[in-house]
Amino acid sequence: MATASVTSSTAGRLLGTVRLPLSIFAFLALALGVLGIDQFVNAMTLGAIYALVALGYTMVYGIIELINFAHGDVFMVGSFVAMFISSSLLGNEGSITNVPLLGVSVLVLFALTIGVMALLGALIERLAYRPLRRAPKLAPLITAIGVSFILQNLIQFFFGPTIVTVPQLVPIEWSIQISGSRVPLLNLFVIASSVILMVALQLFISRTRTGRAMRTTSMDRDASSLMGVNINRTIMITFLIGSGLAGAAGVVHGLYYGNTNYSLGFQSGLKAFTAAVLGGIGNTAGAALGGFLIAFVEVGASAFGYGRWGGAVVFSLLVIFLVFRPTGLLGSHTGDRA
Amino acid sequence: MKVFNKKGLSALAAVAILAAACGGSTASTAGKTLTIGISFPLNGASLASAGPARDGALLAIKEASIEGYTLKAKVLDHAKDGAHNPDQAAADMLTFVGQEDVVAVVGPFNSASARAQIPVSSEAGLLQCSPSNTNPTLTKGADGEALRGGRAVNYVRVATTDDLQGPAVAVYAKENGAKKIYILDSTDAYGKGVADAFETQFKADGGTVVGRQGLPTGTTDFSAAATAAKAAGADSIFYGGVTSDGAPLFRNALAQAGIGALPFYGADGIYDGTTEGSYIATAGANAENSYASQAAIENIPGKDDFNVKFKAEYGKDAEGYAFAGYACAQIIVEGIKAAVAGGDVTRETVRAAVVDKGTVFETVLGSVSFDAVGDTTQRIISLYKVEGGAWKFVKEINYGN
Repeated sequence: MATASVTSSTAGRLLGTVRLPLSIFAFLALALGVLGIDQFVNAMTLGAIYALVALGYTMVYGIIELINFAHGDVFMVGSFVAMFISSSLLGNEGSITNVPLLGVSVLVLFALTIGVMALLGALIERLAYRPLRRAPKLAPLITAIGVSFILQNLIQFFFGPTIVTVPQLVPIEWSIQISGSRVPLLNLFVIASSVILMVALQLFISRTRTGRAMRTTSMDRDASSLMGVNINRTIMITFLIGSGLAGAAGVVHGLYYGNTNYSLGFQSGLKAFTAAVLGGIGNTAGAALGGFLIAFVEVGASAFGYGRWGGAVVFSLLVIFLVFRPTGLLGSHTGDRA
Repeated sequence: MKVFNKKGLSALAAVAILAAACGGSTASTAGKTLTIGISFPLNGASLASAGPARDGALLAIKEASIEGYTLKAKVLDHAKDGAHNPDQAAADMLTFVGQEDVVAVVGPFNSASARAQIPVSSEAGLLQCSPSNTNPTLTKGADGEALRGGRAVNYVRVATTDDLQGPAVAVYAKENGAKKIYILDSTDAYGKGVADAFETQFKADGGTVVGRQGLPTGTTDFSAAATAAKAAGADSIFYGGVTSDGAPLFRNALAQAGIGALPFYGADGIYDGTTEGSYIATAGANAENSYASQAAIENIPGKDDFNVKFKAEYGKDAEGYAFAGYACAQIIVEGIKAAVAGGDVTRETVRAAVVDKGTVFETVLGSVSFDAVGDTTQRIISLYKVEGGAWKFVKEINYGN
């Protein structure tokens, strides 16, 4: 009797660990079958960008329970910073066909943009959110909306309200053939760089001392403080990382689409926020999953001629999740699960 | 008495022409002030397209002189954050209505703003002339009748309507050899409307629509639609919408999907010059082999003379709706002169003079007159093609009177 129960719980635990990867794999296989390889790659690419932005939402919510509505605009600013660095500082005009030069340019672009955006994120936290740390929850929420408008207007002031072109450093002609379909290397590059950043983030949160401080702060700020965690520093690092990832998303957005505009943050921000909620707000792996899920829904709608209703489907999904599974796909807190 | 008036009118016209010929803005003899309102979206992204219309109207008002009256212009801007704002457009129209010396208004630029303004101006009997509105329902049928509340026509326009623009592009696409078209629209009144009109005509001429869908303004990812167009085997693309809805982004996505060489058709929504933020500037090299239309005449009779005047005044070439804006102001000035000749200048006499079906106005666009609902009888659609990074005029289709 006792042996049987041990066996079944071991099996259950084993099932628990493989259930998620299995269902993700099943979903991807189904999507690939339904959409075909071209649209599958489109969805993965769009999902990679949504996921990078969604991470920032979810990290900030996880640690200070603030829905940072300015985060979509931080992403937008990131795309402009990337554009400025790429075209004005590095002097790029179009694609670079020299592979070593392309590699160096892209790395420098990522490093500088992530650096600038991380600093901007920390600055926003220091000036707009930290003074309101003990204020009622509504106050920082409204401040976030204010920050969102400030960022939009600043960008409009400096770069104008029109669509701005961004140099597409990776040549769009480069492609490989996968089972008869032409898959652009640019798409693979976008997916790969996002996945690398997401894996790095997971490792940082789960393996480093600062990562542990972030998890404990999100579980219980006062107790963490008593255990010697520097709360202000930890929260600032969360903003540094979240905004840095938004900067990286800005870089890949520019490289992939070749343009940006000052109102980019509103729509994309809303989608990324939805992704964070779908995945279970506060949960970093969930945010990434949610980003890909939304991208598949949108691309699927557009692939079959129902692009008109793509937005409606995405936000219906949000409502359905909030009603029936408010903790999202993976549940709310990474901290609680660790 | 009548004869005298006619003589007076022609004498005044002669004076006006003389003044215009001298390019003079001779300070009008002091007298009663008459103001022509100018109502456009004039900041941010809207300035590139509506700015020339304003400049044209201001130039015509500056050139005009009316004996015994001082003619002034008053410009109100109804763009918010760079986008035309119909609520603000209606509020601006109320401002004009409230200012007694405003006898007529040039504007607005966008059909949605016209929809907000016409009920206000119509109630006050204040004439307005739009250089660019192309939505048919602003004037025609039950919709037009409802908009002006059953009152006399007070709204005229020198641009012809979208119901001709979509079909004209369809006919042209067919001539270019398009057989299988993929249609994308921006889901709003203009984009979907012009795409519907295009689709109807294209099908009627024996073409096949291999796919059709809409992606709203604010969409940044057009890759799925581009891939769908490729999968459907389209030989040409039509986009119903304006540049800021995402036309150049769609064009770029098509190139990234490997079908950037297909002809790309649009209407006047993508015919917006080459300035920053325009279709050509944003799509860059991908813009080649794109086609667009404009609901206006391209072969403007006095184009070169007008260009010289315009450049002398503003230091730049006249483009886009500069001609139409100038024509609107010309028509209003002629209306005022007719009212002066009639001995009584009021909003009502100016309105009646302009909407009169029998009157033919000689404008920079050529001869213009208005039908029973205020639409221009000059029904010409001009077609353009992108060549070497600029719009080149191809031909015009004249739908006659």
